[in-house]
Amino acid sequence: MTFETLSHAPKLSRVFARAALSRSRTGDTLPDRALRLADQAIDRDHVASYQRLCGWDVNDVLPHTYPHVLGFPLQAALMGSPDFPLPLMGLVHVENVITVQRPLTADDRLGLTVHAERLAAHPKGRTVDLVTEVDVDGERVWEGRSTYLARGSGDPAAERGSQPPGIPTGFATAQWRLPADLGRRYAAVSGDVNPIHLSALTARAMGFPSAIAHGMWTYARTLSALGRAAQGPVTSHVWFRKPVLLPAAVDLVVDPEATPLVAGLRSTRTPEIEHLVLTLS
Amino acid sequence: MPTPAPTTSSTPRRAAVLGGNRIPFARQFGPYAEASNQDMLTAAIDGLVARYGLAGERLGEVVAGAVIKHSRDFNLARESVLGSALAPTTPAYDVQQACGTGLQAAILLANKIALGQVDSGLAGGVDTSSDAPITVSEKLRIKLLKVNRAKGAKNQLLALTGIRPTDFGIETPSNGEPRTGLSMGEHMAQTAKRWGITREAQDELAMTSHHNLAAAYDRGFQDDLVTSFRGLSRDQNLRPDSSMEKLATLKPAFGKGENATMTAGNSTPLTDGASVVLMGSEEWAAEHGLTVQAWFVDAETAAVDYVHGAEGLLMAPTYAVPRLLARQGLTLQDFDYYEIHEAFAATVLSTLKAWEDEDFCRDRLGLEAPLGSIDRSKLNVNGSSLAAGHPFAATGGRIVAALAKMLHEKGPGSRGLISICAAGGQGVVAILEGA
Repeated sequence: MTFETLSHAPKLSRVFARAALSRSRTGDTLPDRALRLADQAIDRDHVASYQRLCGWDVNDVLPHTYPHVLGFPLQAALMGSPDFPLPLMGLVHVENVITVQRPLTADDRLGLTVHAERLAAHPKGRTVDLVTEVDVDGERVWEGRSTYLARGSGDPAAERGSQPPGIPTGFATAQWRLPADLGRRYAAVSGDVNPIHLSALTARAMGFPSAIAHGMWTYARTLSALGRAAQGPVTSHVWFRKPVLLPAAVDLVVDPEATPLVAGLRSTRTPEIEHLVLTLS
Repeated sequence: MPTPAPTTSSTPRRAAVLGGNRIPFARQFGPYAEASNQDMLTAAIDGLVARYGLAGERLGEVVAGAVIKHSRDFNLARESVLGSALAPTTPAYDVQQACGTGLQAAILLANKIALGQVDSGLAGGVDTSSDAPITVSEKLRIKLLKVNRAKGAKNQLLALTGIRPTDFGIETPSNGEPRTGLSMGEHMAQTAKRWGITREAQDELAMTSHHNLAAAYDRGFQDDLVTSFRGLSRDQNLRPDSSMEKLATLKPAFGKGENATMTAGNSTPLTDGASVVLMGSEEWAAEHGLTVQAWFVDAETAAVDYVHGAEGLLMAPTYAVPRLLARQGLTLQDFDYYEIHEAFAATVLSTLKAWEDEDFCRDRLGLEAPLGSIDRSKLNVNGSSLAAGHPFAATGGRIVAALAKMLHEKGPGSRGLISICAAGGQGVVAILEGA
């Protein structure tokens, strides 16, 4: 694998605009290269905006999911490049695993490396994993694996990948009202300006009835609600189920007795609609 | 008739100060501009929890407060505990006594420990002058409440039409006294004039405060009292190179005319910050392998009638201290350290001058003889609010933790006096003894 070090993070609005205009993608091989950003200083004001929006206290510790936001422009750039076999526009984030080896602080200078692997058949299309690795002073400190699904003519015989545990039942631990502009607010902080999140109009153009919440926001909000359990060196594994159509009311359900801990988000009005399931170990 | 077994000891036990932690104080709209009171208090608690290995520990209680508070922060201390590494089963409550908040919180906790009602706890405070609550004009507020009360869309619309463009206005908190309309600085300027406090004396006290705090940082005294926050590892207001020449160039900020003496250099700036103090019983400290730094001996709170001009707004500590000394059978000279909160340099100087004044001590304090002078080399030896800054409710915790450490270094039996003035004409004072 070759390493391509970029001088600065690719601008996401440009990556998405180019992807929207490009021809459809084919192929069976993933690019054999990793994109890298070296010696990235942390912008404390940006961390504070992220912490505020996702429900964390504002402090110097980087939230569990924060490095994903820093690595996402590299993911998008790789997936938007001409030699990538799946189309960036319309990719659905179906699963994510994050392992924090040691808590990161705003004083750390991060190296970020992103590569793609595990192009696989799926009953509903094809999936690919984008792996983000973060190092500080040459030591691996954080790793994220994002699984995206390109919907298409799938292989009914293909395995569906890892299956989540059942969503906890019972009373809601918390109930959140998610405003209609949540997608725009998260886009402003994360740079993820995928049109499916921005407005009902742009979401409809992509086949959704209204704007949908960013999966990474629902993931982050769930983790922040878990408090201490989601801090420090832990691994989280999330499965994104039905999208959250904004505006929405959602219930957080937690089974603290389960090992590993299981949490879920479900619709308040229609509890059968499950938005995500998450384990923490 | 059987006698019930006593559940608590009938004689009070000693309350120990075991340590403390604060975040560096930042100037208004500085690095903490985006941080809320809850963020800062949680950071101060978490720093202390990490230092003393208290993660997951259930403490007897956490008592803290903020002077300027959003209405949504009604349970500020409890919410901060829930966000911290302490066990979520730690109870917490809020208190508020203006700039006396932090010290009053420590008094409340010390009393509960002494009575055996709790074995351990945190006392602290936090204030932000940056993330201030904004309220709408009183006219608009009353009309909006009317809209809220109206039943049905029609009535609500009708109520809405009652709002006039002239009703719109926003108000931020001010440090003016509600009953006099004067700012604290204006009040202090009157007192400074009454006691003939010179510009030079004020500037000298300010310069010494900066030099003392800078030296405290340089020799590592603050290492186990402060944890960095949002990129700040020292108090932002601290100017190690402060000099009489530089301070002399500043224009008066309070008072009027040629005789005005109070400047931005010898008055505390608006700041953001938080502090907490760890206290407990002797047994609890031993069980947790913690060293007792100092004993929380006694405290007194006084208030003066500043509204009708009988006394200066910030002079209440001059009344509280002689009452406390009498109760403890001590004289003003029986201390190794004096921590007199520097709201303004003139506050400290007026207080000291009042205690030296025969007429004041006789007529106002009812004493046979003046309390006398103190050895100025024992005053605010590691700097105080003029250098560190003064996030109102956080000052008490800063002083208690630092003084306890100084007394522990000095040795058992050493004594320290804390004096803090507060808005509303109040003063909170306390005595600590080295362990």
